[in-house]
Amino acid sequence: MNASFVLRASERGYNKFLSTGDSASYIGGHPEATLTRHSSFDFGPYQSGQRGFGRLRVFGDELFSGPGCGYNIHRHHNFIICAFVLKGQLTHINTVGNMDQLTAGDYYAFSAGSGGKHCELNLRNEDTNILYVWIMPDQLLLPPSYGRSRFDAATERNRIVSLVGNADGAIRVPQDVKISRLSSDKAMTLDYTPTSKEHGVYVFVIEGEVVVKDTPLARRDSTGIWGGERIKLRTGVEDADLLIIETAP
Amino acid sequence: MNNEPLKRWMCLGCGFLYDEALGSAEHGLAPGTRWADVPEDWVCPDCGTPKHMFEMVEIPYAPGQPVVRPIA
Repeated sequence: MNASFVLRASERGYNKFLSTGDSASYIGGHPEATLTRHSSFDFGPYQSGQRGFGRLRVFGDELFSGPGCGYNIHRHHNFIICAFVLKGQLTHINTVGNMDQLTAGDYYAFSAGSGGKHCELNLRNEDTNILYVWIMPDQLLLPPSYGRSRFDAATERNRIVSLVGNADGAIRVPQDVKISRLSSDKAMTLDYTPTSKEHGVYVFVIEGEVVVKDTPLARRDSTGIWGGERIKLRTGVEDADLLIIETAP
Repeated sequence: MNNEPLKRWMCLGCGFLYDEALGSAEHGLAPGTRWADVPEDWVCPDCGTPKHMFEMVEIPYAPGQPVVRPIA
């Protein structure tokens, strides 16, 4: 799990689920809805890729199509589940006691700890696109917790902004990870400096094109890098949007 | 006699935890049942993920855990 890699968008795992038939209890939606998932790491039926990256286990680029589409309420333990809404609207319900509606830019971190349930639904006709990130906790069976926040691309442009982890303004989670975002609209070069040489950095291109440590990446491409003291990110004149996840080994 | 320390296994489908020391009485697995002795066709009781998609974890428990509930 600790080797550097480049993963092109088309090399990711792909699964499609229907709200009818065998998966009807798992997938919401009526009369017919489809949920598609591109996985960067092994998850569910996709098991021919890599098993994760540091403390990261799941990275799903998911599309909920059709009113009511999503995941019906189901159980979790331990995992810290983060969702970043890219498009559309997500209705999230959890047993910590939250019922939230999130739109593009909104995100949450739900730590399932000793046990919790959640439900993830698109109640609208337009598609909802979400990035789901699952992180191992640093302790087992912690008290469940939930936090939500918002990334505003209009006011936080052209700089690396911390969303989750041990940083000012970020949602704190019980693990040595930090999730950041960079939304740019001009050509520039920035250095991302990991907390230590032991930390790994996973960069996912949400939109646009970027050069990460001399590797050109296009929309939905990603790279995982270990042993980098400073990671050079080069954007172009066109808009670019990145999610950057730093993790302990 | 197996002198290996007892281990913990986590479901990568949902986070369910199987602790060899505790077993899982409600699923017919006595305390001390090693992962290797859990039947190969056993699946996660919460989400149905197969046994081979669990991961051995060396993560400590949170303070006050595990709370073992008596079986009614």
